[in-house]
Amino acid sequence: MLEKGEAVVAIRVVHYLNQFFGQIGGEEKADTIPFCKNGPVGPGTALVNALDKDMTIVGTVICGDTYFNENIDIATKEIVGLVAGFNPDLLIAGPAFNAGRYGLACGAVCTAVQKKLQIPVVTGMYEENPGADMYKKDIYIVKTGNSAAQMRNAIPALARLASRIANGDVIGSPAEEGYLARGIRKNVFHEQRGSARAVEMLLKKLKGVPFVTEYPMPVFDRVSPRAAIKHLSQAKIALVTSGGIVPKGNPDRIESSSASKFGRYDISGMNDLTAETYETAHGGYDPVYANQDADRVLPVDVMRKLEQEGIIGQLHNIYYATVGNGTSVANAKKYAHAIGEELKHAQVDGIILTST
Amino acid sequence: MDMANQLRIKETADKFGTDKVVVVLGGAEAESAGLTAETVINGDPTYAGPLTNIALKLPVYHILEIKDLIDPAIYEDQISMMEMVLDVDEIKKEMENIRQQFC
Repeated sequence: MLEKGEAVVAIRVVHYLNQFFGQIGGEEKADTIPFCKNGPVGPGTALVNALDKDMTIVGTVICGDTYFNENIDIATKEIVGLVAGFNPDLLIAGPAFNAGRYGLACGAVCTAVQKKLQIPVVTGMYEENPGADMYKKDIYIVKTGNSAAQMRNAIPALARLASRIANGDVIGSPAEEGYLARGIRKNVFHEQRGSARAVEMLLKKLKGVPFVTEYPMPVFDRVSPRAAIKHLSQAKIALVTSGGIVPKGNPDRIESSSASKFGRYDISGMNDLTAETYETAHGGYDPVYANQDADRVLPVDVMRKLEQEGIIGQLHNIYYATVGNGTSVANAKKYAHAIGEELKHAQVDGIILTST
Repeated sequence: MDMANQLRIKETADKFGTDKVVVVLGGAEAESAGLTAETVINGDPTYAGPLTNIALKLPVYHILEIKDLIDPAIYEDQISMMEMVLDVDEIKKEMENIRQQFC
């Protein structure tokens, strides 16, 4: 939004932030609807110093993470509109580190702005952020550490790539430029022919010396769905949650963030989880409503009703819980395998997974 | 360091003057204590809170560093238990490191 008398700058940058980095507030403000401010805010004030001199952050668009993720289509449209109002040449979003909802928002906003406004976009994330996997093929995502404590390193990296893109430089490989691989292959000339390079790599491999492959194999993380349950009324259904619902007092001491374990808890004869008996161990979100009634996260009450009505055969009397907040993908997979084995052993036919 | 605490520190420093305020931390980990110390000296390194771009340069110590200044009976009662389980050397090293880097 060009104000009257405002100097026309060479390269106009708009910055996207969530409510936290936009200095509105934490989780209690996550329902903030999109709005904009002139000039840089929060991390934008650091970005300005790191960007090329002819680049200016003319405006900042801020949106709450909950609002965005619960209203993706409308929120994206609103945000694209606000970004367009600044008539920008480039959009920078984040960095989002390992914040899942913020990462998804940064990815979605960048992708939409790139498509609708036809301007370059850059964001930054930790590589395990769900937004990274979802959007890295479409946009440049600079690799960052996993928490805001890494802001000091993330800002220069983000600014460097943004400046190069804004200047129209030829962008090099992910390893050279520090962004997440986008799955694009380019032909280049090499001083050594392929066979020589391959033999060199093979010799290194045989000697156990580290080498860098020129052709990394893609990693597919696809889970094929199981066949549908034929007779739900005879099926044994289990509840598993990453929402941290534990018996009051958290007997296994599951951590509120980056959980190092999962718990298994007996709910035989239990028809309703109450504030006196259950609570959440999960950090990073407002736990009041989960603590008031843990059925909101782990619906034992509804499952018991379905059991009584004969819609499902029975509810498995053990439920499993861990905390998803900041837990690494590698650990989550480990817990899932262990829980899966136990449920298979217990001849469970189906599992309902719930999160926060 | 959360927003509410940053605001409290900022208001306290504004009210009494930065030469009349000392910050004492009780964080249980070296990294988080270091980040908090950096925040009250050099401004919020995450650029999210009220101390973004505000370098108060406040003197800051971890409670474990000022043991000698505290009544031994009170220290024994309030702190000694945590002193046994925390990585005291790591916390002290990080605090020293941050003060050298930013003061």
